[in-house]
Parts: sequence; C-alpha cells; structure tokens
Amino acid sequence: MIHQAEDPVLEIHDLTVSYDRKPVLWDIDLTLPKGQLIGIVGPNGAGKSTLIKSIMDLIPNSSGYIKLFDQPLKDVRGKISYVPQRESVDWDFPASVMDVVLMGRYGKLGLFKRPRKADKEVALDALRKVGMEAYTNRQISQLSGGQQQRVFIARALAQQADLYFMDEPFSGVDAATEKAIITLLREMSAKGKTVVVVHHDLQSVTQYFDWLILLNMRLVASGPTSEVFNKDLLQETYGGKLTLLSDVGDLIRRERFPSREQTAKTKK
Amino acid sequence: MDSFIEFFSFTDPNIRYVVIGSILLTASSAIVGSFTFLKKKALVGDAVAHAVLPGVCLSFLIYGEKNPFVLIIGAFLTGWLSLILIDYISAKSKIKEDTAIGLILSVFFGIGIFMLTIIQKSGNAAQTGLDQFLFGKAASLVGQDLIAFAVIAVILISAVIFLFKEFTILAFDEDYASTLGLPVRAIELVLTTLTVLAVVVGIQAVGVVLMAAMLITPAAAARFWTEKIQVMVLLAAIFGAFSGLSGAYISYIAPSMPTGPWIVIVVSTIAFISFFMAPRRGIVYRMRNQRKIKKQINDENILKALYHLGEEEKNYFEKRTIEEILQKRVFHPASLKIGLKRLKRQGYIHNSNGYWYFSKAGRDKGQRVVKLHRLWELYLTEYLRIAPDHVHDDADTIEHILTPELEARLEKLLDYPTVDPHSSEIPYR
Repeated sequence: MIHQAEDPVLEIHDLTVSYDRKPVLWDIDLTLPKGQLIGIVGPNGAGKSTLIKSIMDLIPNSSGYIKLFDQPLKDVRGKISYVPQRESVDWDFPASVMDVVLMGRYGKLGLFKRPRKADKEVALDALRKVGMEAYTNRQISQLSGGQQQRVFIARALAQQADLYFMDEPFSGVDAATEKAIITLLREMSAKGKTVVVVHHDLQSVTQYFDWLILLNMRLVASGPTSEVFNKDLLQETYGGKLTLLSDVGDLIRRERFPSREQTAKTKK
Repeated sequence: MDSFIEFFSFTDPNIRYVVIGSILLTASSAIVGSFTFLKKKALVGDAVAHAVLPGVCLSFLIYGEKNPFVLIIGAFLTGWLSLILIDYISAKSKIKEDTAIGLILSVFFGIGIFMLTIIQKSGNAAQTGLDQFLFGKAASLVGQDLIAFAVIAVILISAVIFLFKEFTILAFDEDYASTLGLPVRAIELVLTTLTVLAVVVGIQAVGVVLMAAMLITPAAAARFWTEKIQVMVLLAAIFGAFSGLSGAYISYIAPSMPTGPWIVIVVSTIAFISFFMAPRRGIVYRMRNQRKIKKQINDENILKALYHLGEEEKNYFEKRTIEEILQKRVFHPASLKIGLKRLKRQGYIHNSNGYWYFSKAGRDKGQRVVKLHRLWELYLTEYLRIAPDHVHDDADTIEHILTPELEARLEKLLDYPTVDPHSSEIPYR
C-alpha cells in the first residue's frame, strides 16, 4: 500500500540504515507530497526517528539515496528544518529562550557573524507563533517539558524553511499545548509548507494528518490517511514483530558483515 | 610583607614576566576549558595534558635544548595524536570512550616519564628544569617563553571570540548544528586544536599532572554564578587569572615550591566557595531556602490549629493557651513558641498574659490554609479518585505551596464547593 506522490518534496530510494552494522530500516522507497501534514507512525523501535535522522544526514545510510526538492540535502539545507527529540539535549545549559531560538538563524548567518536585529525579530516572531513570547528572556533550565518543546519548534520556525521534520513534538506536552501546536502545523501546511511528524498516539492520527507513513523496520504503507489508516495495515505495522528480520540483523552485526556487498564502491 | 609589596609593585621585569605569563596561561586555558566543560569532555583535557609529556621530552632529545617553541611543537604533536587515537579507538572498536581515555592517558604518560628519566640520567646540563613540566613552575618563565605564550594566548582568545556562537551551538546541540549546514567537523577540529594548545602552554605553569584542573575547575566554578554563557566564560577567565597570579606569587616567595599544586588549590578554593555560596545553585542558598520553608510550614500550622479551635467553638478570636494549641496539633514546644512569637511580630496574632489570639489578618490567613487543605482533599478524591481516608497527609503539604493563582483555578474547577470529603465546611471569606 505505497502511494507515490506527484512532484514530491521528498524522494527516498531503496534506503537501508544500520546501527553498528545491524540494519534497522530495510529498503525504504517512498515519496511525499508538498504542502501536507504528514505523520510517521509505528511501534517502539520501528525506526521512526532513524528515518528522519538519516534524511537529515545525521546517520549514514548503508544503501540508497534521498532527494529533497529533487536535490541532495547539502544543496537545499536552507529550505529544510529539523526538530530533534526534546531529551536529546541537556537543558541545564547556560542559555536563554532567545539564545536557543536564535540558533535557528545560524545556518543563514554563516560563520563568525553575530545575529542581527532582523534575526532577533524573526526569532521573536517564531516565539509568538508558539505562544512563548512571554518567556523570551527566561533561562532554558527553568522551562517545563511542554515549554522546552515549544522552544524547539520556535527554533525550527526561525529557519523559515519549506520542509520540516519533527521528532516526537508531542511527547511530554499537555493537551492544550498539543492542540496549539497542531493548529500551528495546520496553518503552516495551509501555506504550502510540508511538515513531517513522528507520532505515537494512534487516537489522533486521522484528526491530525493528511498523509501517513506506517513504519516497522520496513515501510508498511505510505499514502493519504483515509486510504492507509485501516485495520489490516495497522495490524501489519503493530502486530507481530518480524523476528526473522531482526535476527538476521543481529547476525550481520555479530559476524561484522557488510550490509551491502559493495557499499564502498557504489557510494559516490 | 616586603616581598608582597615587592612582588605586586611589578618593578622587577622578571616578576612582570612571571605574572603576565601566568595570567595569560591560566586565563586562556580557562576560556577554552569552558567549552570542554560544557561539552562534558572534562576527561579528554586530562588525557591531552598527560599525553604532551612524551612530546616535550622527544623535542628535547632531538633538539638538545629547552627552546619553548620547539618544546611546544613536540607537545602539540603528541597531544593531538592522543586525541586522534581516543576518537579512533572509541569509534572503531568495542572499547568505550572512558576506557579509551584511560588507556591513552596512561600509555602516553608512562612513555613520557620513561623518556624524562632517560634525559635526567644522560647528564645533559641543559635538561635542568625539564622535570618542572610535571608540576609546573611559574617562576621559571623568562622573556622568551613569554613571547611564545602571548602569541598562543592571543590565538586562543581571538579564536574563541570569533567562533563563540559556533562553539556554543556545538556544545548545546551538535546534531542540530549539523542539520543547519554548519561545518561541524571543522569547528570541532578547531576546538580540539585550541584545547591542545591551551594544555601545551598551561603545563608550563601548572604541570602535566594538574592541567585538567585548569581547564575545567574555573568553568565549573563560574557555572554556579550565572546562567549566561558569555558571563560564564568571562568569570572562568577571571577565576583562572586570579589563581595564576596567586600561583606566581607563591612561586616567587617560595622558590622550592612547585607552582601547579598552589594554583590548583587556589582555583579549587574558588570552586568550593562557589559551590557553597553561589545564589540559587549554591548549597548555603538552598539550605537557607529549606529553613525558610520549614518556618513557613510551622507558622501556617499554628494558624491552622488556632483556626480549628475557633471553628469548634464558633469563636475565632477567643484567647488560647499553649496547652490548648498543643492539644489540637502536635508541635515541638520550642518551635511552637518561636513560631508564636514570630507570628506576633508579623501581626497575625496577639498575646495578653500568656494567652494567644488571632488578629483579623491572622484569622484570614488561618482560614486560607484550612480552605486550601480541604479544597485539595476534594480535588484528590474527585479527580484522582483517591480514597477520602488517604488524602489528609497529602493535603497537609500541598496547602503550604499553593499559590493564589492555583487556588483560584482549584475553586473554579471544583465549582466553589462548600464541604470537603469529610463533610467539613470549606470556609470562604
């Protein structure tokens, strides 16, 4: 059940990703449409975060290629923004909310340059959008989980990108904040931005997402939510772990086997 | 005292060299070390510090005399090599980073000591003073050293100034920095190089063994005082400079003393003081805060007991003896007396002939505590479905912390209830 999008913003071709040689994502092929709110759903350990990390080139892929706006990532970085998991950083860092959101401008600023007034205005605007303008000068160590999450989203907004990848933006967030964030993401997609979100809660899937990716070590389905969100495909995603697949992966790691016969040669 | 004046008047050019040199060394290593500290790589600095020793000895063996530039180049090379090896081992083998650091540190240091022994036994007259690299000797700095260190200090400080925002984002969220397209590997390389440079110059004053303290301790101490990274780095530099200055002075008045341990003692003392005295993060502040909370709880409990007594007799302003209060609630008699006196001072209660009674403000405050207690009990039974006989202890704590804002929210949420789960009346003003 894999729908292909026309004129895709993201094209993944035959992607395999391994940790310590063990493949955690097998042969992913998918395309994503522009201007939609897209959910990535799957059980724990399905490789959801791994997928967006490898799209952002944070972990190397063992095979295949990824194209964004029909180009490799390094040529279109300015149009792409990433929200890491909230727990991935130490929040007891000497910085204010403003300092962190301004980091979203660093890519455009370039080396050595200090943020200008215009950058601060963009950052403030991003904070306003997530409802955190009252916390501009607050120390990040004093924020609650939901506030930290909103700061991360504001930082991504400050990049003024066209395509956003967000890793679990609703984890540790209260219901009211979740609602505010989803409203914001909806507005963004209405303006033609594409937002890809790793999500955990199946309850809200149909309500939140236009397009859905079902993932469990391999791609189970990708397509419009109305067509993909059904009992059979969910059963395939969540029911029964592919233990054979996982055992083969373990074997590859144990035997120090390459995950492709000719990885080094085929890579350009 | 004479030596103090002589030293701090800086008239003797040798003293000037030593002072400027020490300050440059300690301040610049503290600045670079701030980022090592924020990146949680404290041990890496220690490994580099130990790994420069074989480089120093090797340069000496090859060149034959103690030229600072030559020694620095040798030190730099082995320091760098150790870092590459640590990275390589932890990336390519099953050995974890901490083990790799331990391995590299001891192997390099072992080789260094071995070579140092050979040099000392060789009878080469130029080698005297080479062993000062072990524990440092600020007083042995001369004009030639100073030029080398000044150059390096300028490189270090200006690199940090230019790359401040890059180093900061790398320390906070390296993955994100890389998604922005920043040259993360190159910036990391620069930071590593600066760390090695800082160590290489720092060992002259502090010595190989204690160099890690110079990188990390000033930053750790500075972190207690501020939440702003710019201020933190500046404070670390000041702490470092101060300890460097004291080290130089001690090295001057007691020439037989190694400088390193003294510098480390001074900077560690600053760290200890920060640990105890700093606002918000310091231990003394936290203890005082705890004491304040204890007092508040004690006093509010007294008001609550008086209110309960008043409630029973429908007479809130009746005069009470201490025994009556104690019958209502168990207090430590001493803290009850202190609390009563404090409340009297604050105008919540009055005293006449050993009898205690509410003022208007005191009655209101007591009423509020009782109200919060009962509201919370009701909240627990209604929203958390906790049995009514299990909610009392919880409410006894929460009643002291609820803010007026939370109080208003509770009232609204529960729709201004009139009785708690035990059918006691919830008093409103």
